[in-house]
Amino acid sequence: MATDLRISNISKIYPGCIANDNVSLQFKSGKIYALLGENGAGKSTLVKILSGVISPDNGEVFLNEKNLKLSSPLDAKKNKIGMVFQHFNLFETLSVFENLSIDATEDNKSLRLRINEIFKKYNFSIDLDVPVLNLSAGQKQKVEIIRCLLRSPKVLIMDEPTSVLTEQETEELFISLKKFCDEGILIIYITHKLKEVLSLCDEVAVMRKGKVVSVSQTQNEKVETLANKMVGQKLAKIKKKINISKNKDEIFKVKHLNFYSDDPFETNLVNLNFSVKKGECLGIAGISGNGQNELFQILSGEIITPNTSIIFRNKEIAKLNPKQRREYLMAFSPEDRISQAAVPELKIYENVALNNFKASNFFEKGLVNERKIKDHSKKILSDFSVNTDNVELKSQFLSGGNLQKLILGRELITAPELLICYNPTWGLDVGAINYIHETLIKINDQEKSTILISTDTEELLKLSDRIAVIYKGKLSKIMSSGEVTPEKLGVLMGGGSID
Amino acid sequence: MALYFFTPFIAIILTILGGGIIFYILGFNPIEALKFYFITPISNLYGFSELLLKATPLCLIAIGLSFCFKSNNWNIGAEGQLTFGAIVGGGVALLFYNQEGFYILPLVILAGAIGGMIFALIPAILKTYFNTNEILVSLMLVYVSKLILDYLVVGPWSNPEGFNFPETRQFSDSSRMPLLFESLRIHAGIFLALAAVMLSWFILYKTYLGFQIKVSGLSLKTAKYAGFKGKTMILVVFMISGACAGLAGVGEITGPIGQLHRMISPDYGFTAIIVAFLGRLNPFGIIFASLVVALTYLGAETAQIFLQIPKYTGQVFQGMILFFLLASDYLLFFKVKILSLKKNELRH
Repeated sequence: MATDLRISNISKIYPGCIANDNVSLQFKSGKIYALLGENGAGKSTLVKILSGVISPDNGEVFLNEKNLKLSSPLDAKKNKIGMVFQHFNLFETLSVFENLSIDATEDNKSLRLRINEIFKKYNFSIDLDVPVLNLSAGQKQKVEIIRCLLRSPKVLIMDEPTSVLTEQETEELFISLKKFCDEGILIIYITHKLKEVLSLCDEVAVMRKGKVVSVSQTQNEKVETLANKMVGQKLAKIKKKINISKNKDEIFKVKHLNFYSDDPFETNLVNLNFSVKKGECLGIAGISGNGQNELFQILSGEIITPNTSIIFRNKEIAKLNPKQRREYLMAFSPEDRISQAAVPELKIYENVALNNFKASNFFEKGLVNERKIKDHSKKILSDFSVNTDNVELKSQFLSGGNLQKLILGRELITAPELLICYNPTWGLDVGAINYIHETLIKINDQEKSTILISTDTEELLKLSDRIAVIYKGKLSKIMSSGEVTPEKLGVLMGGGSID
Repeated sequence: MALYFFTPFIAIILTILGGGIIFYILGFNPIEALKFYFITPISNLYGFSELLLKATPLCLIAIGLSFCFKSNNWNIGAEGQLTFGAIVGGGVALLFYNQEGFYILPLVILAGAIGGMIFALIPAILKTYFNTNEILVSLMLVYVSKLILDYLVVGPWSNPEGFNFPETRQFSDSSRMPLLFESLRIHAGIFLALAAVMLSWFILYKTYLGFQIKVSGLSLKTAKYAGFKGKTMILVVFMISGACAGLAGVGEITGPIGQLHRMISPDYGFTAIIVAFLGRLNPFGIIFASLVVALTYLGAETAQIFLQIPKYTGQVFQGMILFFLLASDYLLFFKVKILSLKKNELRH
């Protein structure tokens, strides 16, 4: 049975921002549709409207010419619209089967039968009785997909599904999606990864600033043409010349880094040893949840581990806290911008004062030197092109990209010898990503070093001089980025081994 | 943001309405009862002085608590710190019971502050070094300090000429807070409270310590990332909080009471928690809140005299204030949506 989904003149206006501006699109089953756009282009708003999470100010949604009233997620379910969100909605401590049975209407026995049918049909294999926290990201996503399939959906919407997957898992996902499509499920695939659009989808709609700017067949598109449509301007290509000189000084050296935690949600780290040279970028790849959080916190001094040796510029710093490490010219940019690197409820200048190094004189004799902090903040705002000059603004009003620029600016204005950053471009749009990448390359050009912990392989390959992969708390051997390919990284990130 | 400082007023109005309804159900004329409760007590100079007298300890304790609460430390035991401060301060006052001297009162006050501080350090040290829960420890220590006081006033410190009443000797005049006006009970302790307000404002908004407290309260993860010395800060905020509660205790015994006995505080230490939140943990908000809550104490006494209602209704009012404050905070960001029945019928 063919499905036909039509969105007609949808508008959604938030105070100060038009999220969807008269969006009309048409989808037919038998094809995979890509919805492409930067962060803030309006994709998520549109998807939330389709899944009933928010209701539009204007416009209508038709499924097979029936006008849908989607005022709650329940309405979307009833109308056979399934949705897999980027962040999984699973109970980590419950088993897979318990997660699937939560909103099922049938008894456990027939549910199990139906799940096994789906497994057979699509070649899935997941142990139904293990707790979800033991699953890999790819398996968790499969659980989410099965949850949708159990309701025999007509439309399946996937929101940035590959952001947490390995290359192999991504391939498996694509195979499944193509199968669903052949069976007549209409698939809408939301992403900002251009290559995925080209390899998976048949048609692509590009959104920019709340509007649909183009709808086209993917066979007529290339990465560059799509990127230009998405960003709306010609992108300058950044390239990094690789720092291959081998006889440079080692500025940072970690030995015997072990970390053991009782918390099942934390990852133990097993005997990590590595070093960073002057002017070099060391990339650490891995799927999130393999120990990156713990590694970052140990490198920054938030967690102090016994018997570890960390030598920085010939000094032992393993016992120092983050503030003391900053005095030795280290800087840190954590993954979590909103609740760790900065506090949204604080004003910009107060967030700047978080990096309180001695030479700053932000706090003289224990008193706040507001003028000094504000002057310093103004310099950061203009030097790092944050799009405001109001240091009194609360940070929650900055977009992700601008907040990250502020954080990087705060960390870099001390001219640190080593910057450790963790997923610096997570969730940012192409413009901001470019800016951050340029900044990170500039640091290396000035003979300062960086450690880049990232889950984005493209970013790592672009910026790193050497790359290692972290998997289940163990570090692979360190490879020079010349010998690394995305496939090799993918194998290591998925727990395989190369050569 | 404006709404954030407005909800305390909504809570107060709802409390008055709620109180009126309770009085009505009890068979009183609500308007008249409320008048006895909230207007009669402060309709003369004496009443006004009583209001300030009750607001003084509430304000002092709440100021101290705001340091703890702002930095995510849940000190519930101010009543215990008040009691222990009163014990230490009272002990010093008893040492000088038959002496005169300008230096005695400052010594007594200092001893009270130190006593409160030491007592607050117990939950703080247990929290920082043994990972205990400060809510439980500080709360349980309240009963410990009350039992210590009980033992002292019945046993070793009881007045030898007191016919075995559970109370100590009267303090000498040199250990008493100077009265501000003849024949009114309001005393110099109010200046301690006002000084605490100004000082806390300065510390919270103008110093590095205040900045660390603010950041830790909003995000402990950020505080850790910034490298703040978390343990030191916990100890410091508990010490400030304990010192304020100790001062409040010593202010009571050297002010209106003049000796140690079992009932030195009508749960000021617990009520001050309500004051701190009603005042939005803001030093000047706390002045206002302490006056409002002090009025519930006075109103309860007046109502007992004129309406023969037990004075524990004061606690009912205090409970209602907290309840309505939490409720209006919780509902502040809710959108009220009225669904018409017709639309619902069409959909099903």
